[in-house]
Amino acid sequence: MGDKKYNIIVAVAGNPNVGKSTLFNILTGKIAHVANWPGVTVERKEGEKVYKGRKIRFVDLPGTYGISATSLEEVIAREYIISGEPDVVLVLVDGTAPERTLYLPVQILELTPNVVIAITKSDLIHRVGIHIHVDKLEEILKVPVVEVSAIHGSGLRELLDAIIAVAEGRRRRKETLKIDYGGLEPFISEIEKIVRKSEILSEYPPRWLAIRLLEGDPRLEDIIRSRDGEDLLKNVRRVVEAVRRGIGKEPVELITTARFNYVDSVAREVVVRIRIEEKEGIFEKMVKHEVISIFVSSLLLISVFSIIFTLNSGFPLNLIFRLLGWMSIAEMLETYSIIGLMNELFNLLAGFLTQYLTELNTPSWLVSLLADGVISGVGSILSFLPLIILTFFLLSLLEDSGIAARLAYSFNSLLNKFGLSGRAIYPLVISLGCNVPGVLSSRAALEEEERVQIIISTPFVPCQARLIVILAFITTYFSSSIIQALVMFVIYLIALAIAMLTSLIIRRVLYGKSEPPLFLLEIPPIHKPSLKVVWWLTWDYSKHFLKKAGLIILSLSIATWFLLNYGPMGFATSPKDSFAAIIGKILTPFLSLYGISQEKAWMIGFALFQGLIAKEGLIESIAMLQGEGTSIKGALLALELTPVQAFSLLLLFTLYVPCIPTIASIKQEVSENKLVLIAVGLMLSIAIFLSLLVSTLLLWLWAG
Amino acid sequence: MVSDIHTTLEAVPPGKKARITGLDAGPGLATRLMQMGLTPGVEVEVISRNRGPILVKVRGVMIALSRGMAKKIFVKII
Repeated sequence: MGDKKYNIIVAVAGNPNVGKSTLFNILTGKIAHVANWPGVTVERKEGEKVYKGRKIRFVDLPGTYGISATSLEEVIAREYIISGEPDVVLVLVDGTAPERTLYLPVQILELTPNVVIAITKSDLIHRVGIHIHVDKLEEILKVPVVEVSAIHGSGLRELLDAIIAVAEGRRRRKETLKIDYGGLEPFISEIEKIVRKSEILSEYPPRWLAIRLLEGDPRLEDIIRSRDGEDLLKNVRRVVEAVRRGIGKEPVELITTARFNYVDSVAREVVVRIRIEEKEGIFEKMVKHEVISIFVSSLLLISVFSIIFTLNSGFPLNLIFRLLGWMSIAEMLETYSIIGLMNELFNLLAGFLTQYLTELNTPSWLVSLLADGVISGVGSILSFLPLIILTFFLLSLLEDSGIAARLAYSFNSLLNKFGLSGRAIYPLVISLGCNVPGVLSSRAALEEEERVQIIISTPFVPCQARLIVILAFITTYFSSSIIQALVMFVIYLIALAIAMLTSLIIRRVLYGKSEPPLFLLEIPPIHKPSLKVVWWLTWDYSKHFLKKAGLIILSLSIATWFLLNYGPMGFATSPKDSFAAIIGKILTPFLSLYGISQEKAWMIGFALFQGLIAKEGLIESIAMLQGEGTSIKGALLALELTPVQAFSLLLLFTLYVPCIPTIASIKQEVSENKLVLIAVGLMLSIAIFLSLLVSTLLLWLWAG
Repeated sequence: MVSDIHTTLEAVPPGKKARITGLDAGPGLATRLMQMGLTPGVEVEVISRNRGPILVKVRGVMIALSRGMAKKIFVKII
């Protein structure tokens, strides 16, 4: 049921780190369409190419090592291949590691004969001393094999020609690949007979089905059960039992080994490796020494975030310049921070619009809605965008260069202490930018338990929106820059400690596991990142922020405008008579626990509600409550907080709940309402308990 | 003299090579390990073995695995 608009549809499959994104990008030039795979939030990218009069659509499958359905990605890849939509499956083989990466095309060839193999990184192959006999490989596998280099753009025409030839039936294998499974063959044919008779899974090739069922495939078993195939499963189990008794080994081990033996035999015939002493780069050396590797990795992460923080707000470089006595540079950094400039821009814009619309005799409520509601709302999204993009750009640079895998390796031991594996470093670091993609990237975890730990604990990591709130408060309420830095440091430390402890407690208490999660990760060679791919990754992450946060922040701004400007009596002349004040007053008794006076409490109360929807809205709503023309600093000062109150409120603000979009992503990822409730309950109770505790303790110390 | 010691990958000293003889893992984990090239019969070179994860080279690819994982892989040192 392919799309009639396209002559040929190509599914692109490959291992992670095989250079798939780069090749996909070069082949298609641009991404034509990005959506999610049906029912899941794994991204589906499509691109198109017109070549020799044919419109070819490329569909990027998730990077997988196989199609055994051990992960969501593998299920997606397999079910798309079997769906009948793709005319050709293009499978990528890493030219620098053919022995391992030939496994995927062999596994796919058992499922469909319509395959083209591309050997990637052809520019690198010879340099590392590898020669691949392409013709021979074609002869053995009976499908076109093309060496390509995305960097040099070589081999792309041949690849497209091969794709067309297979799609149009000129160079196609007649049937799927049959690997000889030796002693297992009688068992395979027995299951094949059972499968053919039952016709429950007629869309799959019977032999492939038989092999998969023998290996054990939870996904297929689920499908069979959903089609009332209990009898079929019972018969299969009988055969599996017979193998276990007869051969004394697990069928899955026998089959994978046989498949790899076949791959090895093919590789022996087509791959020649000349031993070239591999030069060890600084990173290769680094990962070998644990202490050095943690040191270098931490340094790397700290520098990345120093760049981001500095461009964002001037901090912490401004502090360093101040200490060095270079006041003018420090001030320049503070004035020309991205957020500062963007805010300036939108204030100007709102001013112009107000003037222009007033001249046109537009009703004043509409002017106010557009200027104060819409522009300031859009402004608050856009002022974050450069920052978010920058954060993800630097992180994508780490990812595409192969450094990220080394970070994961380096941090494994440290994270083990908190019940996480090195793979968690990525979601944690991303969360410093924005919690939404942080929660989504929890999929990096191998174990379900670790994934849930990451999902529930990463929202405690202060994101850039919270950084803005923290910065606004500390620059208002603490005069010395040393104390400002100290307060900031303590808040980050507390928040990160809570994130780590939460993870550990969930693992120990909820799952009752005392040992750290298993860790398994390919460490790709360090390479120069492709800017195109980096941009692509950056855009992927940033989009989540834009789409989810964008719409919500915009509607929130309009809602806020309404709540602030209208009250039970209609249009409110002062915010005190507005709906906002009524909402804010709900929290007055709670805020009085922090010693905040009645007349100020409702503003903070309302800001807390606003902060639920988007943290940066917290500061804005305080500014809006003070009336137009109040600077953020002025508005915050008007709250008349003591330093102790400011600090404890900051803790509350940082910890209570990141934002609604983050909660929505948690829900999407855990799909269990109980866990969502646990997560939110945990955040609220920790935030309230800890900030009150700190407030009480500090006041007691102050008085004592 | 060829040493012929059966042990787990966790105990192989750095710089040494070993051949995988079997896996002691559930089906899901075993499949993952094997798809990454860690199949019975394959030769593995241990690159480094510090306090943290073990680094091995298998089928031309560098793989990091935790000690817990390495304990599930039976090998014969060669």
